[in-house]
Amino acid sequence: MSADPPPVPATAATPGQWRAVLARFRRHRLAAAALVVLVLVALFAFVGPLLWRYGHDEITPDNSQPPSAIHPLGTDSLGHDLLAQVMRGTQQSLLIALTVALGAAVVGTVIGIVAGYYRGTTDALLMRLVDLFLTVPTIAVAAVLGHNFAGSGGGWVLIAVVLAALMWTSVARVVRGVVLGLREREFVSAARALGSSDLRIMARHILPNVAGPIIVSVTILVATAILAETALSFIGFGVQPPDTSLGLLVANAQSAVATRPWLFYFPGLVILLIALSINFIGDGLRDALDPTQTKGPRRRRYLAQPAARTDAVPDDVLLSVRDLRVVFAADGGDVPAVRHLDLDLRRGEVVGLVGESGSGKSVSAAAMMGLLPPTATVSGSIRFAGQELVGLAEPRFRRLRGSRIAMVFQDPMSSLSPVHTIGDQVAEAVRIHQGCSRAEARERAVELLDTVGIPDARNRLGDYPHQFSGGMRQRVVIAMAIANDPDLIIADEPTTALDVTVQAQVLAALRAVRERTGAAILMITHDLGIVAEIADRIAVMYAGRLVEVGTAAEVFDHPAMPYTRGLLESVPRLDRPADEELWAIPGSPPTMTALPAGCAFAPRCTVRVPDCSTVVPELVPLTAGHRAACLRLTPEPLPEPTTTIPERP
Amino acid sequence: MEIVGFALRRLLVAIPVLLVSTFLIFLAVAKSGDPLTELRERQPPVPPHTITAEEARLGLDQPVLQRYWNWLTGVIQGDLGPSVDRNADIGMEIGSRLGITMRFVLIAMLIAAVLAILVGVVSAVRQYSWLDYLFTSTGFLFLAMPSFWLAVLLKQGGIELNALAGRTLIYTVGDSSVIPPPTLGGRIADLAGHMILPTITLVLINFAAWSRFQRSSMLDVLGSDYVKLATAKGLRRRTVLRKYALRTALTPLVTVIALDFTAVFAGAVVTETVFQWRGMGDYLLESINGRDVNAVMAWLLVAAVAVIVFNLFADILYAALDPRIRRVR
Ligand SMILES: Nc1ncnc2c1ncn2[C@@H]1O[C@H](COP(=O)(O)OP(=O)(O)OP(=O)(O)O)[C@@H](O)[C@H]1O
Ligand code: SF4
Ligand SMILES: [Mg+2]
Repeated sequence: MSADPPPVPATAATPGQWRAVLARFRRHRLAAAALVVLVLVALFAFVGPLLWRYGHDEITPDNSQPPSAIHPLGTDSLGHDLLAQVMRGTQQSLLIALTVALGAAVVGTVIGIVAGYYRGTTDALLMRLVDLFLTVPTIAVAAVLGHNFAGSGGGWVLIAVVLAALMWTSVARVVRGVVLGLREREFVSAARALGSSDLRIMARHILPNVAGPIIVSVTILVATAILAETALSFIGFGVQPPDTSLGLLVANAQSAVATRPWLFYFPGLVILLIALSINFIGDGLRDALDPTQTKGPRRRRYLAQPAARTDAVPDDVLLSVRDLRVVFAADGGDVPAVRHLDLDLRRGEVVGLVGESGSGKSVSAAAMMGLLPPTATVSGSIRFAGQELVGLAEPRFRRLRGSRIAMVFQDPMSSLSPVHTIGDQVAEAVRIHQGCSRAEARERAVELLDTVGIPDARNRLGDYPHQFSGGMRQRVVIAMAIANDPDLIIADEPTTALDVTVQAQVLAALRAVRERTGAAILMITHDLGIVAEIADRIAVMYAGRLVEVGTAAEVFDHPAMPYTRGLLESVPRLDRPADEELWAIPGSPPTMTALPAGCAFAPRCTVRVPDCSTVVPELVPLTAGHRAACLRLTPEPLPEPTTTIPERP
Repeated sequence: MEIVGFALRRLLVAIPVLLVSTFLIFLAVAKSGDPLTELRERQPPVPPHTITAEEARLGLDQPVLQRYWNWLTGVIQGDLGPSVDRNADIGMEIGSRLGITMRFVLIAMLIAAVLAILVGVVSAVRQYSWLDYLFTSTGFLFLAMPSFWLAVLLKQGGIELNALAGRTLIYTVGDSSVIPPPTLGGRIADLAGHMILPTITLVLINFAAWSRFQRSSMLDVLGSDYVKLATAKGLRRRTVLRKYALRTALTPLVTVIALDFTAVFAGAVVTETVFQWRGMGDYLLESINGRDVNAVMAWLLVAAVAVIVFNLFADILYAALDPRIRRVR
């Protein structure tokens, strides 16, 4: 019953996605600069020694020289050229750290994937193995093993092996966590259903999807490995003389910080520089791989400019929205999430607000609740019971929230605090706005929970949300919403996260609430079935705009705007054969940062005319209270729907 | 009561892990060389029967598996085995050194945790403010800072401060004065004075990672639905932050700090060597260099037990803070 296009089977990360990641990484200026620094350091360490006149173990006649033209970083008491030594040390440290990261990545990935994929005993055993490595301080074991290998002349490889053997656990834990979540995703189940072998599923379907987290954790591991190796060398169990490492150089310079400071500062600063660059690169990679976590924009002050209103709002209109605009300042440019929204809600009326994902439904609701983030700029007017909400000062808004306008969110699993009891949370909703005693608030909480149909409410006050099912939790949230007999309840997809059977119960609770309190409800949903059941009127949004609004009967029977028609077409109906595939509107909604000129629906519209890509359609009245925004509506009537919608695929 | 059962189960699970890890490390140290090399090569040579007697005392004449078994049965009965150093009792030695090390490790962890919470929470609540940028860049700096380098730097700072003042304002060497002050108050002041620099070192290298973690966990919670719903109920922002956000945002840090205990301990080893403390770090390096199997084993045993106790403590704390954990598992 969903208006969403059927889920496209998710596939493994594509080359295109990686290109996007790269582009995002490059835009992360600090990370890109850090990468350049790291490349320069690597050149210095690996190419430098070939070009430099002194070898790292060469003893020059100049001992204990401060930095000079001949010895840019000075020399130590034996006459070693410090530049040559730092180059060699950096080389050793980088070699070790990269090998460690590579080894740990391979071992950690394999173990993490296997543990997360097979779960059960395999997982338990492997996680015990991880525990094993976590119980002993790495440095102690590394010191023991380093001491074992010191005499064998194995050099950097052995140190790298020891450190890798001790450091894979962090990668394994990250990978396991991601795989545990992935395993249930449809493309994995699909592959399993098709009979792919476990090995193939892990390699082809899971590995590419954990690549992101692996890359990030391994990058950070390089920094950890550098710090571990230098520390190990510092205490004498890492790289051994006559070879050298940055840690060893610092160790040797310990007692001479005052007399020959260059010996101490240069190697230490190189370690700092490397570790710092790697951390920045890791940070940039994390942001590039997870675009939802990007750095915030510069502009961050919540701006609200109420528009002066001259029109009189009729008495029976509770909420009147005019020309509402919400723009987010974001990295990729401004996002005009809501554009010129006009909407009225009468007292006690239920309005269904529908539209595809990203069409601006939740943002509109947040504007009505005054809950927009600081990156938002709001303009226009929201009149609620005669009061202008756009630009309303927070203390006054706070008094409306929860008392006169209440909200129900989509996911009941996450909208209750996990660490407070149900009774506490419901009673609190009462106490915030009604100066009553704790006992009275509890009594009222019981009453409210009864109203929404929580059995045995009194005895469940002390329970925590995790002891309730999803449907019950949503009813608890509804109980909180009606705690103060609000005039308006905004329900943002209150049933989307629930099972179909439970959906009906929650809907019944909402209907009961409506009857008892007479509150108006703004019901945001994807589900046209729900709208048909409960809504008096329907408002359809597309790309931030209202494109059609009217009574439920009008809109269902005579949808005017092609997008609304498509939406209704994609609902399963009894008068169509059940095996007929659901028709989904082809294409996808436009990117909000790059909206097409003219009608935003034009790229997907099958009845568009040339003007559609230049002229923005305004809402035009069709019948009393039914309005739609489409250029084809005024000059000529739309052709019959049967001919406008193409052959179903 | 549930918590006691939970704790016991955790301890039982830890036992096989401990058995395997001690066995592996025993092998590694036992194979690392002959602890009596120095004795054998001594000039003038020591009589052969002295060497044989030493070998028998240390159990070197037995196969490795037998030696591990002896060690294990000994440990269960509370005997940590003989040290290569005839005059040292491993238990006594570890006891006194553990006290010295834990003294500054625990205080440093406490300070670092408090600092991390403050910095992390403020950064998250004031995201993208100048304060957040300041904390973030300091955090990155200390994340990348080699602990030993920072320790030497601070030590040098202390030395120069003393030179400037013309007297010892701040101790830079050792865990206490060689001749302890006569009064109790004086002794405590003396210990505290010696602890300042190592503690600062340990705090600085650990708080950075924790504060980054605290910041992101606080941000997660601030963006969560239940914080939004709490605001939508009409609560003040201050109340929302205190009652809803802070409480849940602190729990994950508990686990992180517990898991990081080994890292803190490793940092302590390095810090101790720089400030020349006769603590656990010094004992470890000494024992490894002396190929003193029993001493190294005792060291690791103590460290492992500390880790387990820490994790247990964290789990219990977590369960106390988060009702979801109490019933499951
Ligand atoms: N804090 C924000 N910063 C930047 N852009 C945002 C923010 N919140 C929402 N948007 C953008 O605003 C647009 C509208 O989002 P909104 O959440 O209102 O969609 P919706 O209609 O509720 O969709 P859904 O059905 O998926 O809930 C989207 O393009 C979204 O990416
Ligand atoms: S305005 Fe044009 S493109 Fe937009 S819905 Fe109408 S016909 Fe289609
Ligand atoms: Mg939404």
